Amino acid sequence: MTRPLTRCGQNEVKRGMAMYLPDFDYYAPASLPEACALLAQSGPRAKVLAGGTDVLPMMKKEKIAPEILVSIKKLHQLTGIRETPGNKVVIGARTTHNELVNSPVLQKKYLSVCVAAHRIGNNQIRNVGTIGGNIVNAVPSADLPPILIALGALIKLTGTGGERDLPLEEAFAGPGRSAISPDEILTAVIIPGSSLTGSTYFKFAHRRSGALAVVGVAAAVTMEGEVCREARIALGAAAPTPMRAKKAEELLRGRVVTEELLEEAGRCAAAESKTRTSIRGSADYRRDMVRVFTKRALRKAIKDGHS
Amino acid sequence: MSEKYAVIGKSVPKIDGRVKVTGQAKYTGDLKFPNMLVGKILTSPHAHARILSIDTSQAEKLPGVKAVITHRDVPALKYGISPARWDENIFCIDRVRFVGDKVAAVAAIDEETVYKALKLIKVEYEVLPAVFDPVAAMQEGAPQIHDEYPRNINTEIHQNFGDVEKAFAAAHHVRTDQFTGQRTYQSPIEPHSAISIWEDGKLTVYTSTQSPHYFQYYIAREFGLKMGDVRVVKPFVGGGFGGKLEPTGLEFAGAVLSRLTGRPVKMFYDRHEMFAHNRGRHRQIMKITTGVDKDGKILGVHADFIMDGGAYTSLGIATAYYAGAMLPLTYEFENYKFDMYRVYTNLPACGAQRGHGAPQPRYAFECHLDMLAEDLGMDPLELRLRNARRPDTVTPNEFKINSCELKACIEKVREISGWDKKKGKLPHGRGIGIAVGSFVSGAGYPIYRTNLPHSAAMIKVHEDGSAATLYTGAVDIGQGTDTVLCQMAAEAMGYTYEHMKIVAADTETTPHDFGAYSSRQTLMSGAAVKQAGEEVKRQILETAAAMLDIDVSTLDCREGVVFCQSNPEIQKTFAEVAREFFVRKGPLVGRGSYAPPKLGGKFKGAAVGTSPAYSFAAQVSEVAIDEETGEIDVKAVWDVHDCGTVINPALLHAQVHGALFMGMGEAVWEEVVFDEQGRIKNANLSEYRLPTALDMPEITSQLVESCEPDAPWGVKEVGEGATIPTMGCYSNAIYDAMGVRVYSLPLSYEKVWRALKEKREKEAGGG
Repeated sequence: MTRPLTRCGQNEVKRGMAMYLPDFDYYAPASLPEACALLAQSGPRAKVLAGGTDVLPMMKKEKIAPEILVSIKKLHQLTGIRETPGNKVVIGARTTHNELVNSPVLQKKYLSVCVAAHRIGNNQIRNVGTIGGNIVNAVPSADLPPILIALGALIKLTGTGGERDLPLEEAFAGPGRSAISPDEILTAVIIPGSSLTGSTYFKFAHRRSGALAVVGVAAAVTMEGEVCREARIALGAAAPTPMRAKKAEELLRGRVVTEELLEEAGRCAAAESKTRTSIRGSADYRRDMVRVFTKRALRKAIKDGHS
Repeated sequence: MSEKYAVIGKSVPKIDGRVKVTGQAKYTGDLKFPNMLVGKILTSPHAHARILSIDTSQAEKLPGVKAVITHRDVPALKYGISPARWDENIFCIDRVRFVGDKVAAVAAIDEETVYKALKLIKVEYEVLPAVFDPVAAMQEGAPQIHDEYPRNINTEIHQNFGDVEKAFAAAHHVRTDQFTGQRTYQSPIEPHSAISIWEDGKLTVYTSTQSPHYFQYYIAREFGLKMGDVRVVKPFVGGGFGGKLEPTGLEFAGAVLSRLTGRPVKMFYDRHEMFAHNRGRHRQIMKITTGVDKDGKILGVHADFIMDGGAYTSLGIATAYYAGAMLPLTYEFENYKFDMYRVYTNLPACGAQRGHGAPQPRYAFECHLDMLAEDLGMDPLELRLRNARRPDTVTPNEFKINSCELKACIEKVREISGWDKKKGKLPHGRGIGIAVGSFVSGAGYPIYRTNLPHSAAMIKVHEDGSAATLYTGAVDIGQGTDTVLCQMAAEAMGYTYEHMKIVAADTETTPHDFGAYSSRQTLMSGAAVKQAGEEVKRQILETAAAMLDIDVSTLDCREGVVFCQSNPEIQKTFAEVAREFFVRKGPLVGRGSYAPPKLGGKFKGAAVGTSPAYSFAAQVSEVAIDEETGEIDVKAVWDVHDCGTVINPALLHAQVHGALFMGMGEAVWEEVVFDEQGRIKNANLSEYRLPTALDMPEITSQLVESCEPDAPWGVKEVGEGATIPTMGCYSNAIYDAMGVRVYSLPLSYEKVWRALKEKREKEAGGG
């Protein structure tokens, strides 16, 4: 058993406004099994720490109060982006947003992922925030899930009971709640090989940097000439979890793409969305933005490939 | 030596540029003293509540806690920055009035212990009904926030100049519009922070302030100390914009904690606490009526405003007066009526933010004028030219305007923006708009009544003449006063900027100055510095005359060289003459002070808005609007200023850029939002959206020739003036692009989207 590196006493009651990190035990296990065992043993008292761009602010705001933070910084098998047989791209869960932005593999195959990563937070955030964190925190407005879902990504989870793959779109249970077991660690994101000819992500936000999405829309398509063979549309900040706009996808399959069809798909996606009013926009505005950006994302994915 | 000036008018490097970019500059939060404690203030979680009991015993027992204080441990004397309404206590006694009101404070050995101790203070509240809207707060039966102010009216203004009703009756066209502003917060990069050291009967406070003088005055008053026993020192400051003009509570609490513990106490606000302490822009509800003749000449204006003051007065009385007083500056009309209610609500107190009360009314007025121009079928720029103020005029509220090149500003911005080619001619989705503004170059009267000069300065030349130090109470908060005043000192002395040193904003070592607010320092502190420099120069010339055995009237001194004007071969260096002076007479010192002439009329509130000089500006912006999303993409802004003689062009244009940045943030994004319990929903820099570098448009900042007769070298202000036109300017550009008007700030994407949607629905419905 690893000894905690830091011991800071006990937790306090909620006060609401403090901006000071509450006490916690800190572990940095050297192996994945050790990390999983620690999580299994601690249950909901523990939280995985990667970049800390979500976990630490939430702790400061006392929205969460984990007693134990399990850093995965020593788990080097969680890093790197590589192509594997079967035309798959495997992205280690600890990969930072800026590593996504600057990855030659992604730039060549899925520039849309680089573009989405580049719209996250600001440069400081992108230097430390990770793809795994962007997924497991299950923030409805997160920028990476929509494009990864559109690309059909799977996540690889390791727990005390072994390893499993889960389609990313099944990984979310609600705002801030993932479908991942407390003893599981997300180790990698896998973009499977596919025949998709284009993909893109539009983030609509109130300023060009350092803003969360009003809505985020990703689209991926397989085009055969003018005919859309396959379409996958994923929405961010449009429902309690990232979601597929499956009716809009169905509308497009096998059809010759026209401006009218894209407009119809946009309307359909808007109707499917479950937007809500928040500080970033009212529900009806967001719903209409789903329409606008679904149309624009489809248009771009069809025209510009993975962009 | 053909140029008129040797040192001013040049973009010399900032005197503190190197220490700032290398991180050597020490801000209050960087300072450490032996045995220093850390203090924090406990604030109210309720918007309105009675305090039933406060139990600090648990907190006091926590190891590391050195003192816990509440209202029982501090003077009960009310304070405030506006003497007419002292309504704040260091700690609330029986009632809290907003979420964030100050209740208690702790000093402990470190930050961790302080935060733990805060949680151990038990306060029992009885929650009272709260009110968050000024109109609701004025209704009979609304929760009473301060017992002394019925219907929560903090300030009521009714000014009437000329005969507005008569003017409206005679007018060709009269129009009324209503606009609403929003609460914004200054958001300086550097959080408020203060270190108090009370030892041996003397209190020293290092603090992030815009005015050491007002801090000294109010701290001394609160504790019954002589001003001479209170020393306020300003280290480097990372921005204020009006939010650091008045004591924050950190100084008062820190002082008491230091006295009790006998140790220095550092106190600070985190970002959330800064928003809660606030003193930012008031939200104003602005009804405005104007009558014009058929040529668009303004005959009369009635401004009928209400402002949300929050829970305390802060500088809000002045804000309320400024809101109306600044409107007639830009246009010539004689009939003017101004009604204002500043109303208490259970929200954080509002104060002075860049442009003080003026920007939101200016937004309302400039939108309203565009609408009038449209009614008359006139180009809005022409309407402004027709009414633009001329030099040597007097406003209806009796402000004397000397230099004024507003017409030239409008003509120039018309030319450089390509107005005539663009107005009404840009493709759908693109638009261009204009607005103007004006601001004081220093308030004509100080905040509390006193006959002290407004600024004073002293220059001491080093004994060997190798440097000169300017001692000034003026306050550099990032805007560049230290640099500009050293340029002015060198110019006046006939010396070189590179050899100037500065000691500033320390009430013990530097002469009095009221500080950095109302865009006052270049003119007022500058006048004192010029006088001090000239006194040094006079002594240098006299000494040189004696050394050279030559008539003093034949000598001049420039850039560190004393020379004979008829025969420049005859010369001595400033340094050798200065050294000789010291040998013969002792320290070579120059002194200066400045007080403005008596200004303004005799009516109630006549003093607010008076100034020895006024800046003028015209702005044009070009926007592209996304018809489907309402997104506003500002393509370019052209700003033309009349700010008198320029001391440092680089700093001047930087002020224009910075002011535009703030104006743009307030125009499109910034708004402090509250939940139904009066808690701030976006007290952070993520959801309180200041623009980023990526959001800034291309800016063209230009000047017109201007010289203010009543100012040193003819200077005027620029720092606040450029914030004022921006909101109206964007609103007018959006209208030009899309034909929709947004009647409230910020002009958010969603509001533009909604206005477009409503317009489409109306057009479809109207068939």
